[in-house]
Amino acid sequence: ASNYPPIWPYPQSFTNGSTTVSVDPNFKFAASMQSDDLDAAFKRFDALFFPHRANNGGVLNNVAIMVQNVTEQLQLYSDESYTLYIPADGTAAISITAQTVFGVYNALQTLSQLIVFDFNTQTYQVSLAPWRITDFPRFKHREVLLDSSRHFEPVQTIKNLIDSLTYAKINVIHWHIVDSQSFPFDSPTYPLLGQKGSYSPQERYSMDDVADVVEYARQRGVRIMIEIDNPGHAASWCPGYPDVCPSTTCLQPLNPATNATFDLMAGLFRDFTGGVRGGGVVFDNMFHLGGDEVDTSCWTNTPAIASWMKQQGFTADQTYEYFVKRAQAITHAQGRDVVGWEEIWNHFGTQLDKSTIIHQWLPGSKVAVAATAAGYRVLWSTDGVWYLDGLQVTWETMYVQEPCVGIPDNLCNTLVLGGGGEMWGETVDTSDIQSTIWPRLAAIGERLWSPRTVTSTDAAHVRMANFRCLLNRRGVAAAPINNPTARSAPPGPGSCLDQ
Amino acid sequence: INAEYMGIVELACADGCAVSMKLLLVVLFSLIALSDARRHRRARAAPSPYRFSEEELQQTSHEDLVDILLHRNGIPAPETPEEPAIAAAADNYPPIWPYPAKFSNGTASVTVNPTGFKFTAPESDRDLRAAFERFERLFFPHRAAAGGTISAVQVTVSAFNVQLQLGIDESYTLDVPMQGPIRISAGTVYGAYHALQTLSQLIVFNFDTQLYTIALAPWHIEDRPRFTHREVLLDSSRHFEPVQTIMNLIDSLTYAKVNVIHWHIVDSQSFPFDSPSYPLLGKMGSWSAQERYTIFDVQDVVEYARERGVRIMIEIDNPGHAGSWCKGYPDVCPSVQCPEPLNPATNATFDLIDGLFRDFTGGARGGGVVFENLMHLGGDEVDTSCWSSTPAIAQWMKDNSLTPDLTYEYFVRRSQAIAHAQGRDVVGWEEIWNHFGTQLDKSTIIQQWLGGSTIAQNATAHGYRVLWSTDGVWYLDGLTTTWATMYSQEPCTGIPDNLCDMLVLGGGGEMWGETVDTSDIQQTIWPRLAAIAERLWSPRIVKDATAARMRMANFRCLLNRRGVAAAPVNNAVARSAPFGPGSCLFN
Repeated sequence: ASNYPPIWPYPQSFTNGSTTVSVDPNFKFAASMQSDDLDAAFKRFDALFFPHRANNGGVLNNVAIMVQNVTEQLQLYSDESYTLYIPADGTAAISITAQTVFGVYNALQTLSQLIVFDFNTQTYQVSLAPWRITDFPRFKHREVLLDSSRHFEPVQTIKNLIDSLTYAKINVIHWHIVDSQSFPFDSPTYPLLGQKGSYSPQERYSMDDVADVVEYARQRGVRIMIEIDNPGHAASWCPGYPDVCPSTTCLQPLNPATNATFDLMAGLFRDFTGGVRGGGVVFDNMFHLGGDEVDTSCWTNTPAIASWMKQQGFTADQTYEYFVKRAQAITHAQGRDVVGWEEIWNHFGTQLDKSTIIHQWLPGSKVAVAATAAGYRVLWSTDGVWYLDGLQVTWETMYVQEPCVGIPDNLCNTLVLGGGGEMWGETVDTSDIQSTIWPRLAAIGERLWSPRTVTSTDAAHVRMANFRCLLNRRGVAAAPINNPTARSAPPGPGSCLDQ
Repeated sequence: INAEYMGIVELACADGCAVSMKLLLVVLFSLIALSDARRHRRARAAPSPYRFSEEELQQTSHEDLVDILLHRNGIPAPETPEEPAIAAAADNYPPIWPYPAKFSNGTASVTVNPTGFKFTAPESDRDLRAAFERFERLFFPHRAAAGGTISAVQVTVSAFNVQLQLGIDESYTLDVPMQGPIRISAGTVYGAYHALQTLSQLIVFNFDTQLYTIALAPWHIEDRPRFTHREVLLDSSRHFEPVQTIMNLIDSLTYAKVNVIHWHIVDSQSFPFDSPSYPLLGKMGSWSAQERYTIFDVQDVVEYARERGVRIMIEIDNPGHAGSWCKGYPDVCPSVQCPEPLNPATNATFDLIDGLFRDFTGGARGGGVVFENLMHLGGDEVDTSCWSSTPAIAQWMKDNSLTPDLTYEYFVRRSQAIAHAQGRDVVGWEEIWNHFGTQLDKSTIIQQWLGGSTIAQNATAHGYRVLWSTDGVWYLDGLTTTWATMYSQEPCTGIPDNLCDMLVLGGGGEMWGETVDTSDIQQTIWPRLAAIAERLWSPRIVKDATAARMRMANFRCLLNRRGVAAAPVNNAVARSAPFGPGSCLFN
């Protein structure tokens, strides 16, 4: 249990030496292709590499970056791999190779962890050089769920979160943007949703705010996947548009018996998607439709809906299927692949379009095994172990989970896209979101990035402690790693390394 | 030779002069050196107006000293306080935190055009230009629709290049008209920053129209702080608080017009500062290799704070709370087993103190990396048992006929003399008043902290300046102290108005760090510090927590929108999570 390698998450493969080499803070970044995104990234990483004023000089004073493609759109299957070479002397530059800018960002994150300020000499150093690192994520989709309905999470809070995600190579915010409690999004198409459904006049996102978040994330290699949970978890839609709800006393699931509901969904989705694949304000090609926890009793006990179901010859469950499929069809028509919570698999199984991605969440669930066996792609975020609102779940418990348990390797590699930590917002707002998420999300970050064999929490312990201190130095409110309950205060005076 | 030290020399000789001549010479030499340094300082920089000559001290009653102070500082007879309009109902009016000293407003809503919004000032000033860039982001966090009536703010500052120190002019006037430019005038850039903070709270994005608006225009605001020193204590010894954490804290302080970080930078638990003069202090005394500040880090913090009108007052607590010094320099401690209070019997201790202080002060008033003219020397919770139980020190005390309490006094005075010689006015925790009272140099600032203490009354009555941070009500580590309790405190209780105005400098919230690190510092401090900030800024009569409630809730939401981890205002225990889903306004 040492801080070796001093990199979080653990790289796929690496070799290193035993030399300490100094780095000149008067440092140059050079890339093989011009890119405004890279130029902006270099400014950020320069600040991240060199937080202290230091003595000038140092053996290594530049990084040469070979990148193949600087225009590729950030999507699920974007190449994030990189190689990083740090020589032990000044005969060569630090060098990075990557297919995309997103791989370059990952390489620079790794490098930022290797460059350490030495207070005694007032110089920057890389220990254990030369380093040769070949790295790529085990899973393509490494998310944190952000819930802005139970509490409004301001744009600045989201941007700060995005910064922190990049440090652990988390690459998706699954933005559970609305739910029953509030509707903080100002839909240009259906403006009453936000006007009537938000908690207060200031607790809203304009369309431009969403665009701002998406662009901020994109520049850092983080995807924004929107979830519009339906037909359940949608009561906040009713204040603005009562027609889409069964009644004023029985609000959800959304009313399946009127085209108004599906018209609204088409308009709302289009606000994000622009109607075409890879287009719109939120260009991500995955769109989460929720579909979970649908209690159909409001349908059966609302006379107009009950009679409509009878006309159609639908049971309640068939109505649920009708709704889900129609919502999916709207989404497909706008060029999006659909993600849904596992209930849709449990109810409809292989009736679902093959492009559907099933998100496992129920405690103890093994739907990933069944769904992958049937050829469906899955995400893995099981409640009780990867739910970040479970405050008793320690980072060690999160670390030892394995999404591919019971799944053959070939299906694991192709159909298990990844998953992530779900930060449900019932007790989370700007005051505690970082300390609830961190450092536990880092455990998930390593599980989703690093080789399957890297599973020992004992071996990871000192590295985790160091990574948490790094987060703190970067201003991230990561809580003590030894907390039995998440987001607890440190128990007493001490080093960040020991708490 | 300073007469204050003659007392100690005489004392040392009183008991049949059983003192070693060697010690006497050492003391005399050091006093001559201090005296020289002091004269040197006076030649280069104006002395503090609060310092008295020895003649004044000996010949003048304490009451007269107060009058002299008032006269010397050109303080006119106290003004009749302005009567601000107190909101009758518990609503968000005025939508400004802290409550301004004086304002009037209308009933119209005006729009502000963020596109091409101009900040103008008659004179170009680098600090002001940088501030304009920051405030533009603060004013306009959302992309907006085109249009808006008001598209400029004109800022007039009377005096640039005013060094940020205690008592500088922070006042401003702000006029938001129905049309035409917003106008700000201020004595200094620091006043201008406050005006821009106020303006940033008045400009609100309207999500329905996608326009920035100012409600209840026109506004005329004449504002200034009631107290000049409005601090938060930052403890980087119990936990290391990284530079980024401190900079984020500074940003948040400015939103509530809190203007001082009282940086309790070292204590017994760790010594995170890499002193250039005594490098082993940080090397050996820090928690770990990375949990340290270089002198450049300190300078970065000071500069970041200065650009935002926030002073950095360093506290080097001594002779107690100094156990972490021993690891690097064992000689300055009684022994390994009994590390503190620091060893009074060796010049090594005072040499180290002198060098360490000089790292911050540069040796001259207004100079050095930390140019702040107040330096806090702690002096609290001194348990002298290590002195009595360490044979060499006990012998030295006996040789000099010093009781433990006299040794404590000797230490405090010698430490103060070092700080004075470097051009600093000394702040100390109230124990030094409780032990030494009017024996203390008149420039000493006494910080009241003990639970239930009322020493501010006593000290001001004797002409001493005070800070007010009483444990149990303004200690932020007291988690069950609510913002409403903090809000209802009054530092000038029992103090005549003229002494309140002149000698109660202010005070603040003390964020002791036993259970506070980067993970929870913001939510432990906020929103409660805002209650203290309003007490220290706003007119004395603005004191009703019920009337302030909605304004406090709105200010907390504003902090959240700016990324500050301010906890729910209704928390019975500080930094608790919100109890369930809901609006930030009602949590």
